This record gives sequence, structure tokens and C-alpha cells, in this order.
Amino acid sequence: MSDPRDELAAADVISGGGEDFSAFAVSRWPGLVRLAFGLTGDRWAAEDLAQATLARAYVAWRRVSRADDPDAYLRRILVNASNRRFRRHRVTEQPGDPPETAVEGPAELVSDRAALLAALRQLPPRQRAVVVLRYWEDLTDAQIAATLGCSPGTVRSQLSRALAKLRESPALGEGEDR
Amino acid sequence: MSESGEAGLRERVHLLLQAVEPPMAPVDSIIRRGRARRLRRAGAVAGSLGLAGIIAAATLLLPPDAAVPPHPPLPVTVPASGIAGPGGVFASGTADGHAWRLAVENVADPGYRCLPAITVNGTDANLAQPNPRNYAATAFGPAAPGLGFAYVQLPAGVAGIVLDGQESVPAVTATVCGLRYRLAGFAYRLAHRPQVTAIGAAASYPLPSVGSLGTTTAAAGQNYGVWTNVGTPGAETEQGIVASGRGWSITVLLDAGGDCYHYESMTTPGTPQIGACGPVSTPAGPETIMALSLSYAPAGFHGPTGYAVQVSPETNRLRVTLSDGSTRLVTPRVVGGRKYAAFAVGTWLRLDRLTWLDAAGKAFASTTALPRSGYTQFQP
Repeated sequence: MSDPRDELAAADVISGGGEDFSAFAVSRWPGLVRLAFGLTGDRWAAEDLAQATLARAYVAWRRVSRADDPDAYLRRILVNASNRRFRRHRVTEQPGDPPETAVEGPAELVSDRAALLAALRQLPPRQRAVVVLRYWEDLTDAQIAATLGCSPGTVRSQLSRALAKLRESPALGEGEDR
Repeated sequence: MSESGEAGLRERVHLLLQAVEPPMAPVDSIIRRGRARRLRRAGAVAGSLGLAGIIAAATLLLPPDAAVPPHPPLPVTVPASGIAGPGGVFASGTADGHAWRLAVENVADPGYRCLPAITVNGTDANLAQPNPRNYAATAFGPAAPGLGFAYVQLPAGVAGIVLDGQESVPAVTATVCGLRYRLAGFAYRLAHRPQVTAIGAAASYPLPSVGSLGTTTAAAGQNYGVWTNVGTPGAETEQGIVASGRGWSITVLLDAGGDCYHYESMTTPGTPQIGACGPVSTPAGPETIMALSLSYAPAGFHGPTGYAVQVSPETNRLRVTLSDGSTRLVTPRVVGGRKYAAFAVGTWLRLDRLTWLDAAGKAFASTTALPRSGYTQFQP
């Protein structure tokens, strides 16, 4: 026999707020995975975080579907979940070895991505989040502050520290302007 | 950073993240996860609201015998002297036909710096320094189904613990690596985590959940033999590269959370990587063979697999036999006073056999029972 609460949840999916949760999840999934990958540098963790984020959105679907900006809501959930994950699983956040020097041809692109990934992984989680939210999500200081639960001034200082560290990165320092 | 620098960084971040190709959205899985979360929340609310009423009703309606828990605590034997016995054993017993013993011992290979840890049956170590704010639990899964094992570090002045208000477990003093511990250990049924309270003090120790599968990847979710610590184990952390090649590496981080491996391949498209933790083997205990697969079924992605084995002190080389019949010799590296052998197997090959070789080159153990993902344990 099914659990009545389960049926309630299913009913939410069908009728919640006019937008079907499944369609919402499908449309947001790629962006969430990419954002999570930027925050974690780990594809499996990224997909797990994206799943966890959408599962939370499912629980609060009535609220999410009526929110002015559901994407901001998702971002907040994801960034918070990522920070919690960092505190729990130090090992996957250990900086990797520096990538090998780029070689010519298509490998150059791969190596460039690897260098950026390695440099991002050297940043503390909050600074990494600021960089990814600014340069991938193209959010303003105020939007980033709302996502992270801090002041815009803190965002600016975190960003400038992050950029300074990225400049110091041997893999990125020379090529930042290209 | 200049404006052009910022523009360059933006472009590179976009190139990096656009290169990530997510698989199809796992909508069913997301909804199942959401429902489970909703049920847990509903249960928690019901629990907090109804607990007082339930207790009151039980007190009023149930006969006195019904107050006894359905699973009384499992009996524990401790050294009568209050000092750990041979091998550092501070608690032992038999549960559902499984003999168990908890001990404090040095788990470093002979000749290396002492590495103190709590073990169950001489294996699956939890690195921990004396710290009265630490307690921990683990489970063995199929090797001891339904059973968990735990210890509590106690401050001076606390005589021991009581399980479910019934079974007293006196504190035992144990010394290893020049460090002095005060410990109380016990086994319990996972279906019923006992209430653990300190004798003569208000302190309680809510045991962590162990032996469950909590994440979406098998390798990361498997946790039998890995300890879950509460408080600060104060363990030393050791880290090092155990194998590397052109564009790939396998590192190990050893601490209270287990032997945690990280495998990444920079030369594989998408620069995939995986991290997973396994039990900490002891020099005489079974060795953990960890497979770190970069293949990813939902995306139809086939990648190489990294393998890492924490090998016994007498292991000089590990012979790797692959599915094409070729063999390779792998030389272990020492990290934190323990030997690890690691290697990577290419995308279209399979690991068929591992053979342990001693200093004379003589094979002394071999196995074909090898994981494709996650870990297994093998006694050479």
C-alpha cells in the first residue's frame, strides 16, 4: 500500500504552481550540473549536488514554483549544499597535482581547461563560489551576496582576493589576458 | 586583474563549464530523493511533536515489561584489571555468533613511526589520538550483518558508560605509541542504536549512523569498515602520491576518515576524477583493494580505472595481469609508514589478477576477486 504522504508529493508534482516539476528539473539540470562542477571541480559530486538541489526544490515545490526568481532559489540551495559537502569531505577538495604543460593542437584547449580547473580548486570554497557566480552566472555583487548570504562588500573583497590568487597561479598568470 | 584579464577569465570559465556535458536529467531519481527527504522531514516533525504524547501513552497503557527494549544491549567483556589486555584489547564479546574484539594498536609497518588506531578484530583501523571528546562507530556489512561496533573515549573521572540504562561498560586504560587512552567499547545492533550515557555524568553519546548507502555513486557510498567519528579524533593526517603517469595521478590521504584515494586523469576528455574512502588496513589484516572507475554509465562514458592497494609490509612488488594477457610490476610507495601500490588500467582493458611478490620475487598470494568499482578486502 502506498504511503499517503507519497501520494501527496505526487499530487504536488502534477498540480504544483502550474509548471510541472519534471519539466522544470529537465530544463534546469544542465545549468545546475555545470555550476556545481565549477564549485566542486568533480563531475560526480556535481551531479550529486545538482540532484540534491532539485530534490530540495521538489520538497518545496509550491514555494519554488511561485518564487519571483526560482533560479536564484536553486543557486542558493546548491551553493549551501556545496559548502556543507566541502566541510564533510575534505578529501575530494585536496588540490590536485599541477597539470602538465600544454602541447600544441587540440590538447592545448584540454590543458587550458585543466589549468583553470586546478587553479579554481586552489581557492577556498567561498572565493571559488564568488568567481564562478560572477564569471559563469554573470551575477552582480548584490546577487552574489544574496546567494551567499553576505554583504556586497564581502563579495568584492572575496573576488579581489580570488583574482589575486588566480594571478599568482603559474598556470594562469601568464595566460590570463589571452 | 585588468578588464581584458577579467574578460579572458570569463571566457575561460565559460569554455571550462560548457565542456561539461551533463547526462539526461535523472528526474525519477530526483523525485524519489525528494520524497525520501519529505518523509524524513515529516517523520522528524511527527517525532518532535508526538514524542511526549507517545511516552505518556506508553507509560499509561503498557504493562511494566513492555518498557524493556526489544533488543537488550549485547554483552561486553572488559579486562577485570581495567587495563587493556594483550594486543591492546579493551572490549570483546560475541554477537549473533560473531566474535569481536576492540583494541588500540600501532598500525604502521614495522620500522616506521608509530601510528595509533582503534581496530575491530585486528583490522579496519580508526586513527585516533587520546581525546575525551571523540567517539566513533563502524559496521562490517556482510561480514557481520546487522552489527555495529563503537567506542567512546572517556575523560578522567568518568568510570564508564551505560547502554540503554542496562549494560554497564567500565572504562579501560590502554597505552600505545606512548599515548594513554581511556576507552569503553561495545557492539550493537544497527537496527537499534543504544542510548549511551556516561556513568556519574550527564554526558551522552548519540551514535552516528553507519553502514548505510548515502550517495549516488557506488564507490563513494560504500562504507563498510570505514569509521564515522563524532568529535575530534585528533588523528594525524598523512598524504602522498602513490602512483602517477603522464597526466594522471592517484593520491592517498590517510586520516580518521579512512584511506581516501583520489584519481584524476588530465588527459582524458573532461578531466574526470573520482575520490573514495576505504577501510584502513592493518599490517597483519586483510588488504583493501580499491577500484576508482572513471567510467560513467549514465553518460555512456568509458574511462580508465585506477587501482590502489594498501599492501602488507612484506610485499615488495605487485604483479598486475590485464585482460590482454600482459603483466606489469608495480612497486609500492610508503605514505605515513604504510605501503601502497597503485596503477591505472586503460579504458578498454580489465584487471584480471593481482599477485603479491616478496623481496625474493616469489609470489606469496594472488587473487582474481577484484572490484570494478568501490573496494573489496583480501587477506594475502
